[in-house]
Amino acid sequence: MIRQSIMVTNRLGLHARAAAKLVQLASRFSSEIHLSREDANQRIDSKSILGILMLAASQGTRLVVSIEGSDEAEAGEAIRQLFDGKFGEEN
Amino acid sequence: MASGPERIFQGNGVSSGVTVGRALKLDSRNRVILKIHIDDVEEEARRYQRALATSKEQLTALKSQLEEKLGSEHSVILDAHLLMLDDRALSDDIVASIRSSCANAEWVLEQARNRMVSAYESLQDEYLRERHRDIEDVVERILLNLSGSQPFSWESLPEDLILVSHDFSPSNFVTLDLKKVRGLALESGGRNSHTAIISRGLRLPAVMGIRDIAGSIVTGDLLLLNGDDGQVIVNPSQERIESHRHRIEAVGVAAEAAPCPSGRRILTADGMPVSLRANTELPHELRVAKRCGAEGIGMFRSEFLYFRHRHGFPDVEEQLSVYRTMAKEMSPYAVAIRTLDAGSESVADKPDLASQINPSMGLRGIRLSLHIKEAFHAQIEAILRASCEGRIEIVLPMVSTVEEIWQAKAVIDKVRAHLADTAGISLNLVPVGVMIEVPAAVLALEVLAKEVDFLCVGTNDLIQYTLAVDRGNPYVAYLYQPLHPSVLYCLHRISEVSRKFNKPARICGEISSNPFFAVLLLGMGFSQLSMNPLSIPTIRRVLSEVPAGASRRIAKRALQFATAQEICEYLTNAVSKLVKMDLTSYAKEIAVLNDLSEG
Repeated sequence: MIRQSIMVTNRLGLHARAAAKLVQLASRFSSEIHLSREDANQRIDSKSILGILMLAASQGTRLVVSIEGSDEAEAGEAIRQLFDGKFGEEN
Repeated sequence: MASGPERIFQGNGVSSGVTVGRALKLDSRNRVILKIHIDDVEEEARRYQRALATSKEQLTALKSQLEEKLGSEHSVILDAHLLMLDDRALSDDIVASIRSSCANAEWVLEQARNRMVSAYESLQDEYLRERHRDIEDVVERILLNLSGSQPFSWESLPEDLILVSHDFSPSNFVTLDLKKVRGLALESGGRNSHTAIISRGLRLPAVMGIRDIAGSIVTGDLLLLNGDDGQVIVNPSQERIESHRHRIEAVGVAAEAAPCPSGRRILTADGMPVSLRANTELPHELRVAKRCGAEGIGMFRSEFLYFRHRHGFPDVEEQLSVYRTMAKEMSPYAVAIRTLDAGSESVADKPDLASQINPSMGLRGIRLSLHIKEAFHAQIEAILRASCEGRIEIVLPMVSTVEEIWQAKAVIDKVRAHLADTAGISLNLVPVGVMIEVPAAVLALEVLAKEVDFLCVGTNDLIQYTLAVDRGNPYVAYLYQPLHPSVLYCLHRISEVSRKFNKPARICGEISSNPFFAVLLLGMGFSQLSMNPLSIPTIRRVLSEVPAGASRRIAKRALQFATAQEICEYLTNAVSKLVKMDLTSYAKEIAVLNDLSEG
């Protein structure tokens, strides 16, 4: 089980396109991947795009990612890269 | 063919072209969904799953179509829509809820939609708050597939449809079958809306701001839509359709632009080189421009970058990546980027910019840019940095005094110095040009020409301002005459000053797409024309058949007539004699453009 804190840094936040990229990435791993806001209890499945949209994570929001499963290390790294790369929106 | 009398609706033509088709009304605003008790819940669940599967098939097909037409930037939103269809909340949860409530699928789905949308509406972040549209679009699609009336089962629909609706958001484009939709007639929206920009990028004729059209027609009505003069005619007569035949066919051809040889200089029949460039609005159009043989982008309207942001402005990085790609893709030719030419309506959320009564004479173009310095700085920085990747030019719009050029150039110098100091980036000099589109600029052209590297003539606005005619106003639209002697005097003067000061002048308006006008402009001394990319192959052919010497004699003679009508008659006659190509349809076009068709 991995728990890591991650920050939304792209300017538009987790809107539909960014959320789609996250779901597509998360779905490649067999691990259970959940997201929650640091400032709220709501925990959502990162393979659900509607769930991610409901997080309403705008730029600057801190999220906690919890990952559990056989490929949790790779999944954690891949998700971090996606966020750090601003979802490929601002290259 | 026509059933009933002709009825004419007047709106604003926002995307050029004439098209005929059957109306398809899209209006879901007044729908009511009732709760119905269902006995066979398993069959109801299967009905819902079939609607989901159909929705998925439709979206998958549309995605590849849209990618082809507009590039992946505009189609990735469909990935999000497809994922929503797979989401528990719209699949398993709905099915479970149908079973537990014994209610119809429509009602269950509507409840789920309301919950999600209201959660969205409570969000703080304005951008995210607007995103509920994506959920709405997806739910709407499932509902339509459930309804069985199948307005979105495009296969069953006839070809040549004209969509009629109150409004149409940019995200709705992903729901269109572009093989069947020929035009867009909307009650809301204007020339600068994002929907209008995308329509132009897709070469989809569109008229917006039509009052009360949606309630006055029914799906299946025959419509003639004219994206140039803003008219939508219900039950057009056969004669009327015939009189537009050449324009209607041109739209069909335009969709499949024939490739055109590039890399070979265009010469007139007597060997004078001319340069044909493209006017574009979306980065994706560069491909079309190249395919049509454009020697560069004569004017890139940068507004689309701003309309992507309902609030605030695009930052340097976002603009840089767009400009950079364009510069690379168009190399070795130049890309002229016109700085923001919107009115304050696009920055309406800025509290200090109240709405203006007469926006076309208000705070727009360079006036607005100098008012919102931060956004202007960002655009200039992005342009300067992109200039390392290829040839880029800056064009300043709506300039009416030389001080505006001084101030803009001061900003450019300051940003350049800043980039050199902080990032150590030393940049090539980027040529700066000015749009000549208000009479004041024409009259004081010597003063302005000294300060810039080149001139761009924005003929659409220049004609409106010179003749004091709002083309969208049906009462005076007949006075909009591109061949009016006053317009020709302005153009003649611009050409003279350009030669005297050795500052190249480029025509960047729709008029250069007409072969007769193109010959007239050539004769007046304009050898750089920038136009809709799809017109380039025709104009290229026409100019290569015309000797520049003959065109000069035609232009000289044209300046001696008193009315647009005489000029038009003389010009069509004289040019037709020089060119082998059949220009009959273009002769009609130029007559209609000058509102002389009845004369």
